[in-house]
Amino acid sequence: MTEERIIPAGEKQEWVFIDEPTLDLHVCQQAGSSLRIILINLSSATNILHIDHTAPNCHTEIYALAFLHGTDSVSTHTRMHHDKGEGVSEQVIKFVLDDESKGAFVGELKIKPDAQQVDARQTNRNLLLSDLATMRTQPQLEIYADDVKASHGATTGQLDESALFYMRQRGIAPETGRKMLLRAFMDDIVDRVQDDDQHQRLVEAIDRVLQ
Amino acid sequence: MNTLLQITDLHASIGGKEILKGINLTINAGEVHAIMGRNGAGKSTLSAVLTGNDKYEVTAGSVLLNGKDLLAMPAEIRAREGVFLSFQYPVEIPGVSMVNFMRTAVNEKRQYEGKEPLSATAFLKLMREKKAGLDMADKLNNRSVNEGFSGGEKKKNEIFQMAMLEPCLSILDETDSGLDIDALRVVADGVNRLKTPHNASIVITHYQRLLDYIVPDFVHVLEDGRIVKTGGKELALELEQSGYAQFE
Repeated sequence: MTEERIIPAGEKQEWVFIDEPTLDLHVCQQAGSSLRIILINLSSATNILHIDHTAPNCHTEIYALAFLHGTDSVSTHTRMHHDKGEGVSEQVIKFVLDDESKGAFVGELKIKPDAQQVDARQTNRNLLLSDLATMRTQPQLEIYADDVKASHGATTGQLDESALFYMRQRGIAPETGRKMLLRAFMDDIVDRVQDDDQHQRLVEAIDRVLQ
Repeated sequence: MNTLLQITDLHASIGGKEILKGINLTINAGEVHAIMGRNGAGKSTLSAVLTGNDKYEVTAGSVLLNGKDLLAMPAEIRAREGVFLSFQYPVEIPGVSMVNFMRTAVNEKRQYEGKEPLSATAFLKLMREKKAGLDMADKLNNRSVNEGFSGGEKKKNEIFQMAMLEPCLSILDETDSGLDIDALRVVADGVNRLKTPHNASIVITHYQRLLDYIVPDFVHVLEDGRIVKTGGKELALELEQSGYAQFE
Protein backbone atom coordinates (compact mmCIF):
# COMPACT_ATOMS: atom_id res chain seq x y z
CA MET A 1 0.00 0.00 0.00
CA THR A 2 1.34 3.39 -0.92
CA GLU A 3 1.34 5.84 1.92
CA GLU A 4 0.38 9.39 0.94
CA ARG A 5 2.01 12.29 2.74
CA ILE A 6 1.81 16.05 2.30
CA ILE A 7 4.42 18.63 3.23
CA PRO A 8 2.49 21.86 3.80
CA ALA A 9 3.64 25.12 2.24
CA GLY A 10 6.79 26.53 3.79
CA GLU A 11 7.40 23.55 6.06
CA LYS A 12 10.71 21.80 6.47
CA GLN A 13 10.91 18.11 7.35
CA GLU A 14 13.57 15.43 7.73
CA TRP A 15 12.75 11.74 7.67
CA VAL A 16 15.21 9.02 8.50
CA PHE A 17 14.41 5.41 7.63
CA ILE A 18 16.77 2.76 8.93
CA ASP A 19 16.40 -0.84 7.83
CA GLU A 20 12.71 -0.79 6.95
CA PRO A 21 11.93 -3.79 4.73
CA THR A 22 9.38 -1.92 2.62
CA LEU A 23 8.87 1.71 1.99
CA ASP A 24 6.27 2.97 -0.44
CA LEU A 25 5.71 6.70 -0.16
CA HIS A 26 3.98 9.26 -2.31
CA VAL A 27 4.80 12.75 -1.11
CA CYS A 28 3.18 15.96 -2.34
CA GLN A 29 5.24 19.01 -1.55
CA GLN A 30 3.47 22.35 -1.39
CA ALA A 31 4.97 25.76 -2.18
CA GLY A 32 8.32 26.52 -0.60
CA SER A 33 8.48 23.29 1.39
CA SER A 34 11.67 21.36 2.11
CA LEU A 35 12.13 17.66 2.56
CA ARG A 36 15.21 15.63 3.38
CA ILE A 37 14.98 11.85 3.29
CA ILE A 38 17.78 9.64 4.57
CA LEU A 39 17.36 6.01 3.78
CA ILE A 40 19.68 3.31 5.11
CA ASN A 41 19.35 -0.41 4.37
CA LEU A 42 21.59 -3.03 5.90
CA SER A 43 19.38 -5.95 4.81
CA SER A 44 16.87 -6.80 2.06
CA ALA A 45 14.32 -4.11 1.23
CA THR A 46 12.16 -2.55 -1.45
CA ASN A 47 11.91 1.22 -1.56
CA ILE A 48 9.61 3.37 -3.67
CA LEU A 49 9.85 7.10 -3.16
CA HIS A 50 7.60 9.22 -5.28
CA ILE A 51 7.97 12.96 -4.72
CA ASP A 52 5.83 15.57 -6.47
CA HIS A 53 6.73 19.24 -6.46
CA THR A 54 3.12 20.37 -6.89
CA ALA A 55 4.00 24.03 -6.38
CA PRO A 56 7.02 26.29 -7.04
CA ASN A 57 10.12 26.61 -4.92
CA CYS A 58 10.21 23.17 -3.34
CA HIS A 59 13.40 21.56 -2.15
CA THR A 60 14.06 17.82 -1.88
CA GLU A 61 17.12 15.85 -0.84
CA ILE A 62 17.28 12.07 -0.94
CA TYR A 63 20.34 10.32 0.49
CA ALA A 64 20.24 6.55 0.35
CA LEU A 65 22.75 3.89 1.33
CA ALA A 66 22.45 0.12 1.10
CA PHE A 67 25.26 -2.01 2.56
CA LEU A 68 24.51 -5.66 1.87
CA HIS A 69 25.90 -9.12 2.50
CA GLY A 70 24.94 -12.73 1.84
CA THR A 71 22.13 -13.02 -0.66
CA ASP A 72 20.30 -9.85 0.46
CA SER A 73 18.90 -7.53 -2.16
CA VAL A 74 17.69 -3.96 -2.15
CA SER A 75 15.71 -2.26 -4.86
CA THR A 76 15.32 1.50 -4.66
CA HIS A 77 13.08 3.34 -7.06
CA THR A 78 12.84 7.11 -6.93
CA ARG A 79 10.30 9.13 -8.88
CA MET A 80 11.22 12.76 -8.63
CA HIS A 81 8.59 14.81 -10.41
CA HIS A 82 9.10 18.51 -10.82
CA ASP A 83 5.62 19.73 -11.80
CA LYS A 84 6.31 23.38 -10.99
CA GLY A 85 9.36 25.59 -11.36
CA GLU A 86 12.23 26.95 -9.30
CA GLY A 87 12.56 23.72 -7.40
CA VAL A 88 15.71 21.93 -6.35
CA SER A 89 16.23 18.21 -5.98
CA GLU A 90 19.35 16.35 -5.02
CA GLN A 91 19.65 12.57 -4.90
CA VAL A 92 22.73 10.67 -3.77
CA ILE A 93 22.18 6.93 -3.90
CA LYS A 94 24.94 4.55 -2.85
CA PHE A 95 25.20 0.76 -2.75
CA VAL A 96 27.98 -1.32 -1.19
CA LEU A 97 27.51 -4.94 -2.23
CA ASP A 98 29.40 -7.89 -0.79
CA ASP A 99 29.07 -11.68 -1.25
CA GLU A 100 26.17 -12.50 -3.59
CA SER A 101 24.04 -9.49 -2.75
CA LYS A 102 22.10 -7.58 -5.36
CA GLY A 103 21.27 -3.93 -5.76
CA ALA A 104 18.93 -2.16 -8.13
CA PHE A 105 18.30 1.53 -8.60
CA VAL A 106 15.79 3.16 -10.89
CA GLY A 107 15.97 6.91 -10.85
CA GLU A 108 13.09 8.53 -12.63
CA LEU A 109 13.47 12.27 -12.93
CA LYS A 110 10.71 14.16 -14.66
CA ILE A 111 10.75 17.90 -15.27
CA LYS A 112 7.39 18.97 -16.65
CA PRO A 113 6.80 21.87 -19.10
CA ASP A 114 5.76 24.27 -16.33
CA ALA A 115 8.80 23.56 -14.26
CA GLN A 116 11.24 26.22 -15.46
CA GLN A 117 14.47 26.99 -13.58
CA VAL A 118 14.62 23.70 -11.82
CA ASP A 119 17.96 22.41 -10.56
CA ALA A 120 17.91 18.61 -10.37
CA ARG A 121 20.88 16.38 -9.58
CA GLN A 122 21.06 12.63 -9.32
CA THR A 123 24.17 10.66 -8.40
CA ASN A 124 24.40 6.90 -8.07
CA ARG A 125 27.69 5.37 -6.85
CA ASN A 126 28.17 1.68 -6.21
CA LEU A 127 30.96 -0.45 -4.84
CA LEU A 128 31.15 -4.15 -5.59
CA LEU A 129 33.20 -6.01 -2.99
CA SER A 130 32.85 -9.45 -4.53
CA ASP A 131 32.78 -10.95 -8.01
CA LEU A 132 29.34 -12.41 -7.36
CA ALA A 133 27.60 -9.21 -6.26
CA THR A 134 25.52 -7.47 -8.91
CA MET A 135 24.18 -3.97 -9.44
CA ARG A 136 21.62 -2.73 -11.94
CA THR A 137 21.21 0.97 -12.37
CA GLN A 138 18.78 2.77 -14.57
CA PRO A 139 18.54 6.54 -14.63
CA GLN A 140 15.48 7.81 -16.53
CA LEU A 141 15.42 11.48 -17.27
CA GLU A 142 12.44 13.10 -18.93
CA ILE A 143 12.83 16.80 -19.36
CA TYR A 144 10.08 18.92 -20.98
CA ALA A 145 11.13 22.40 -19.82
CA ASP A 146 13.94 24.28 -21.58
CA ASP A 147 15.40 26.47 -18.85
CA VAL A 148 16.56 23.90 -16.30
CA LYS A 149 19.70 22.28 -14.94
CA ALA A 150 19.60 18.53 -14.70
CA SER A 151 22.54 16.23 -14.11
CA HIS A 152 22.94 12.58 -13.44
CA GLY A 153 25.84 10.22 -13.08
CA ALA A 154 26.19 6.56 -12.23
CA THR A 155 29.38 4.66 -11.47
CA THR A 156 29.96 1.10 -10.34
CA GLY A 157 33.42 -0.07 -9.33
CA GLN A 158 35.68 -1.70 -6.79
CA LEU A 159 37.67 -0.33 -3.88
CA ASP A 160 40.60 1.77 -5.06
CA GLU A 161 43.61 -0.57 -5.14
CA SER A 162 46.10 2.28 -5.39
CA ALA A 163 44.65 3.85 -2.23
CA LEU A 164 44.90 0.48 -0.46
CA PHE A 165 48.54 0.13 -1.48
CA TYR A 166 49.30 3.68 -0.35
CA MET A 167 47.82 2.82 3.06
CA ARG A 168 49.76 -0.44 3.29
CA GLN A 169 52.97 1.43 2.43
CA ARG A 170 52.31 3.50 5.54
CA GLY A 171 51.98 0.33 7.65
CA ILE A 172 48.19 0.07 7.66
CA ALA A 173 46.99 -3.55 7.41
CA PRO A 174 44.87 -4.26 4.30
CA GLU A 175 41.79 -5.18 6.41
CA THR A 176 42.06 -1.89 8.31
CA GLY A 177 42.58 0.06 5.09
CA ARG A 178 39.57 -1.59 3.47
CA LYS A 179 37.37 -0.65 6.42
CA MET A 180 38.62 2.93 6.35
CA LEU A 181 37.83 3.24 2.64
CA LEU A 182 34.38 1.68 3.07
CA ARG A 183 33.57 3.89 6.02
CA ALA A 184 34.69 6.95 4.03
CA PHE A 185 32.40 5.95 1.17
CA MET A 186 29.41 5.48 3.48
CA ASP A 187 30.04 8.40 5.86
CA ASP A 188 29.01 10.75 3.10
CA ILE A 189 25.45 9.48 3.65
CA VAL A 190 25.59 8.45 7.32
CA ASP A 191 26.93 11.82 8.51
CA ARG A 192 23.88 13.58 7.15
CA VAL A 193 21.78 12.13 9.95
CA GLN A 194 21.54 15.09 12.31
CA ASP A 195 20.09 13.50 15.43
CA ASP A 196 23.08 12.45 17.59
CA ASP A 197 21.51 9.31 19.08
CA GLN A 198 20.25 8.13 15.74
CA HIS A 199 23.64 8.85 14.16
CA GLN A 200 25.43 6.93 16.92
CA ARG A 201 23.15 3.91 16.56
CA LEU A 202 23.69 3.90 12.83
CA VAL A 203 27.48 4.12 13.13
CA GLU A 204 27.40 1.19 15.57
CA ALA A 205 25.17 -0.87 13.28
CA ILE A 206 27.55 -0.32 10.37
CA ASP A 207 30.58 -1.10 12.56
CA ARG A 208 28.99 -4.42 13.49
CA VAL A 209 28.56 -5.28 9.82
CA LEU A 210 32.13 -4.17 9.03
CA GLN A 211 33.65 -6.52 11.62
CA MET B 1 79.83 -0.17 8.93
CA ASN B 2 76.24 -1.14 9.66
CA THR B 3 74.61 -2.61 6.54
CA LEU B 4 71.00 -1.51 6.29
CA LEU B 5 69.95 -2.82 2.91
CA GLN B 6 71.56 -5.47 0.79
CA ILE B 7 70.21 -6.16 -2.69
CA THR B 8 71.73 -9.16 -4.46
CA ASP B 9 71.14 -10.05 -8.11
CA LEU B 10 67.54 -8.79 -8.05
CA HIS B 11 65.41 -9.64 -11.06
CA ALA B 12 61.77 -8.53 -11.40
CA SER B 13 59.16 -8.48 -14.12
CA ILE B 14 55.68 -7.20 -14.82
CA GLY B 15 53.29 -9.06 -17.08
CA GLY B 16 56.09 -11.44 -18.08
CA LYS B 17 58.39 -8.61 -19.17
CA GLU B 18 61.66 -8.45 -17.26
CA ILE B 19 62.41 -4.92 -16.01
CA LEU B 20 65.11 -5.45 -13.37
CA LYS B 21 67.89 -7.65 -14.70
CA GLY B 22 70.23 -8.23 -11.78
CA ILE B 23 70.54 -5.30 -9.36
CA ASN B 24 73.30 -5.36 -6.76
CA LEU B 25 73.37 -2.60 -4.18
CA THR B 26 74.52 -2.29 -0.58
CA ILE B 27 73.40 0.63 1.55
CA ASN B 28 74.90 1.38 4.95
CA ALA B 29 73.34 3.39 7.74
CA GLY B 30 74.00 7.11 7.37
CA GLU B 31 74.29 7.05 3.57
CA VAL B 32 72.35 8.80 0.82
CA HIS B 33 72.28 6.98 -2.53
CA ALA B 34 71.01 8.59 -5.70
CA ILE B 35 69.68 6.42 -8.49
CA MET B 36 69.58 8.13 -11.84
CA GLY B 37 68.55 6.95 -15.24
CA ARG B 38 66.25 7.49 -18.15
CA ASN B 39 62.53 6.81 -18.27
CA GLY B 40 61.99 3.08 -18.49
CA ALA B 41 65.38 2.19 -17.02
CA GLY B 42 63.66 0.52 -14.05
CA LYS B 43 63.93 3.22 -11.35
CA SER B 44 60.28 3.17 -10.30
CA THR B 45 60.14 -0.62 -10.62
CA LEU B 46 62.95 -0.86 -8.10
CA SER B 47 61.02 1.28 -5.60
CA ALA B 48 57.82 -0.72 -6.24
CA VAL B 49 59.62 -4.03 -5.70
CA LEU B 50 61.33 -2.84 -2.51
CA THR B 51 58.01 -1.67 -1.05
CA GLY B 52 56.07 -4.83 -1.94
CA ASN B 53 53.80 -3.75 -4.77
CA ASP B 54 52.09 -6.99 -5.86
CA LYS B 55 51.94 -5.95 -9.51
CA TYR B 56 55.61 -6.88 -9.89
CA GLU B 57 56.98 -10.38 -9.68
CA VAL B 58 60.43 -10.98 -8.25
CA THR B 59 61.94 -13.77 -10.33
CA ALA B 60 65.40 -14.03 -8.72
CA GLY B 61 67.67 -12.50 -6.13
CA SER B 62 67.38 -11.40 -2.53
CA VAL B 63 66.91 -8.25 -0.48
CA LEU B 64 67.88 -8.04 3.18
CA LEU B 65 66.80 -5.19 5.44
CA ASN B 66 68.78 -5.20 8.69
CA GLY B 67 69.52 -8.84 7.92
CA LYS B 68 65.85 -9.82 7.50
CA ASP B 69 64.35 -11.19 4.29
CA LEU B 70 62.47 -8.14 2.99
CA LEU B 71 60.91 -9.92 0.02
CA ALA B 72 59.12 -12.39 2.31
CA MET B 73 57.23 -9.58 4.06
CA PRO B 74 53.89 -8.14 2.91
CA ALA B 75 53.92 -4.41 2.09
CA GLU B 76 52.54 -3.24 5.43
CA ILE B 77 55.15 -5.21 7.41
CA ARG B 78 57.96 -3.73 5.29
CA ALA B 79 56.57 -0.29 6.16
CA ARG B 80 56.47 -1.11 9.87
CA GLU B 81 60.05 -2.44 9.64
CA GLY B 82 61.00 1.05 8.47
CA VAL B 83 60.78 1.17 4.67
CA PHE B 84 59.14 4.37 3.51
CA LEU B 85 58.29 5.40 -0.03
CA SER B 86 57.69 9.01 -0.94
CA PHE B 87 55.40 8.36 -3.91
CA GLN B 88 55.99 9.98 -7.27
CA TYR B 89 52.22 10.39 -7.47
CA PRO B 90 50.75 10.48 -3.94
CA VAL B 91 47.27 8.93 -3.93
CA GLU B 92 44.14 10.90 -3.04
CA ILE B 93 41.85 9.17 -0.52
CA PRO B 94 38.49 10.96 -0.41
CA GLY B 95 36.69 10.80 2.92
CA VAL B 96 39.71 9.71 4.99
CA SER B 97 41.11 12.68 6.92
CA MET B 98 44.87 13.22 7.24
CA VAL B 99 44.55 12.97 11.04
CA ASN B 100 42.69 9.66 10.95
CA PHE B 101 45.03 8.24 8.30
CA MET B 102 48.22 9.25 10.08
CA ARG B 103 47.00 8.22 13.51
CA THR B 104 46.10 4.77 12.22
CA ALA B 105 49.50 4.41 10.53
CA VAL B 106 51.47 5.56 13.59
CA ASN B 107 49.49 3.37 15.98
CA GLU B 108 49.66 0.25 13.79
CA LYS B 109 53.44 0.68 13.73
CA ARG B 110 53.56 1.21 17.50
CA GLN B 111 51.46 -1.89 18.07
CA TYR B 112 53.85 -3.88 15.84
CA GLU B 113 56.73 -2.65 18.00
CA GLY B 114 54.87 -3.64 21.17
CA LYS B 115 54.21 -0.04 22.22
CA GLU B 116 51.00 1.50 23.56
CA PRO B 117 48.96 3.54 21.05
CA LEU B 118 49.37 7.33 21.30
CA SER B 119 46.54 9.26 22.94
CA ALA B 120 44.70 11.84 20.83
CA THR B 121 46.50 14.72 22.54
CA ALA B 122 49.95 13.16 22.30
CA PHE B 123 49.28 12.41 18.65
CA LEU B 124 48.20 15.96 17.78
CA LYS B 125 51.25 17.34 19.58
CA LEU B 126 53.49 15.01 17.55
CA MET B 127 51.79 16.15 14.33
CA ARG B 128 52.46 19.79 15.20
CA GLU B 129 56.12 19.11 15.96
CA LYS B 130 56.72 17.17 12.78
CA LYS B 131 55.06 19.76 10.59
CA ALA B 132 57.50 22.43 11.75
CA GLY B 133 59.58 23.79 8.91
CA LEU B 134 57.47 22.16 6.22
CA ASP B 135 55.34 25.23 5.60
CA MET B 136 52.10 23.24 5.63
CA ALA B 137 48.75 24.81 6.47
CA ASP B 138 46.97 23.50 9.60
CA LYS B 139 43.75 23.10 7.66
CA LEU B 140 45.34 20.17 5.81
CA ASN B 141 44.87 18.04 8.97
CA ASN B 142 41.14 17.85 8.55
CA ARG B 143 41.16 17.52 4.78
CA SER B 144 41.00 14.15 3.09
CA VAL B 145 44.40 12.61 2.35
CA ASN B 146 45.94 14.48 -0.62
CA GLU B 147 42.51 15.43 -1.95
CA GLY B 148 42.68 18.78 -3.69
CA PHE B 149 46.30 19.30 -2.57
CA SER B 150 48.57 21.13 -5.00
CA GLY B 151 51.62 19.30 -6.39
CA GLY B 152 53.85 21.00 -3.82
CA GLU B 153 51.46 20.26 -0.94
CA LYS B 154 51.36 16.58 -1.89
CA LYS B 155 55.15 16.28 -1.85
CA LYS B 156 55.44 18.17 1.45
CA ASN B 157 52.79 15.84 2.81
CA GLU B 158 54.95 12.85 1.85
CA ILE B 159 57.91 14.31 3.76
CA PHE B 160 55.63 15.10 6.70
CA GLN B 161 54.50 11.44 6.79
CA MET B 162 58.14 10.38 6.61
CA ALA B 163 58.88 12.58 9.65
CA MET B 164 55.95 11.02 11.53
CA LEU B 165 56.95 7.42 10.80
CA GLU B 166 60.75 7.80 11.26
CA PRO B 167 61.76 5.14 8.73
CA CYS B 168 65.23 3.58 8.62
CA LEU B 169 65.13 3.50 4.81
CA SER B 170 63.43 6.25 2.80
CA ILE B 171 62.94 5.94 -0.92
CA LEU B 172 62.20 9.25 -2.59
CA ASP B 173 60.72 8.50 -6.01
CA GLU B 174 61.03 11.53 -8.31
CA THR B 175 60.26 13.79 -5.38
CA ASP B 176 61.36 16.79 -7.42
CA SER B 177 58.87 16.26 -10.24
CA GLY B 178 56.32 19.02 -10.44
CA LEU B 179 57.96 21.19 -7.77
CA ASP B 180 58.95 24.81 -8.15
CA ILE B 181 62.27 25.85 -6.68
CA ASP B 182 60.82 27.11 -3.37
CA ALA B 183 58.86 23.93 -2.71
CA LEU B 184 61.91 21.89 -3.75
CA ARG B 185 64.00 23.68 -1.14
CA VAL B 186 61.40 23.09 1.60
CA VAL B 187 61.11 19.40 0.70
CA ALA B 188 64.91 18.93 0.51
CA ASP B 189 65.44 20.74 3.85
CA GLY B 190 62.81 18.43 5.35
CA VAL B 191 64.65 15.36 4.08
CA ASN B 192 68.03 16.67 5.28
CA ARG B 193 66.69 17.37 8.77
CA LEU B 194 65.53 13.76 9.06
CA LYS B 195 68.98 12.38 8.25
CA THR B 196 70.68 10.56 11.14
CA PRO B 197 73.65 8.15 11.41
CA HIS B 198 71.11 5.34 11.76
CA ASN B 199 68.98 5.79 8.67
CA ALA B 200 69.56 5.97 4.92
CA SER B 201 67.86 7.28 1.79
CA ILE B 202 67.55 6.30 -1.82
CA VAL B 203 66.86 9.32 -4.00
CA ILE B 204 65.46 8.41 -7.40
CA THR B 205 65.67 11.20 -9.92
CA HIS B 206 66.13 12.10 -13.57
CA TYR B 207 67.82 15.36 -12.93
CA GLN B 208 70.81 16.63 -11.08
CA ARG B 209 68.78 19.58 -9.71
CA LEU B 210 67.47 17.81 -6.59
CA LEU B 211 70.99 16.60 -5.77
CA ASP B 212 72.15 20.22 -5.29
CA TYR B 213 69.94 20.18 -2.20
CA ILE B 214 70.06 16.55 -1.07
CA VAL B 215 73.72 15.72 -1.52
CA PRO B 216 74.30 12.01 -2.17
CA ASP B 217 77.25 9.95 -0.98
CA PHE B 218 76.88 7.68 -4.01
CA VAL B 219 75.31 8.05 -7.43
CA HIS B 220 74.26 4.99 -9.42
CA VAL B 221 73.25 4.97 -13.05
CA LEU B 222 70.47 2.54 -13.88
CA GLU B 223 70.18 1.48 -17.50
CA ASP B 224 68.03 -1.33 -18.86
CA GLY B 225 67.45 -2.89 -15.44
CA ARG B 226 71.07 -2.89 -14.26
CA ILE B 227 73.37 -0.52 -12.40
CA VAL B 228 75.93 0.31 -15.07
CA LYS B 229 78.00 2.89 -13.22
CA THR B 230 78.57 4.01 -9.63
CA GLY B 231 80.40 7.11 -8.47
CA GLY B 232 80.38 10.00 -6.03
CA LYS B 233 78.22 13.11 -6.26
CA GLU B 234 80.32 14.42 -9.16
CA LEU B 235 78.86 11.64 -11.34
CA ALA B 236 75.50 13.43 -11.29
CA LEU B 237 77.10 16.60 -12.66
CA GLU B 238 78.89 14.61 -15.30
CA LEU B 239 75.59 13.04 -16.39
CA GLU B 240 74.00 16.47 -16.60
CA GLN B 241 76.75 17.38 -19.12
CA SER B 242 77.02 14.22 -21.16
CA GLY B 243 73.59 12.57 -20.84
CA TYR B 244 72.70 8.91 -20.61
CA ALA B 245 73.38 7.94 -24.23
CA GLN B 246 76.92 6.82 -23.35
CA PHE B 247 75.44 3.87 -21.46
CA GLU B 248 73.48 2.41 -24.35
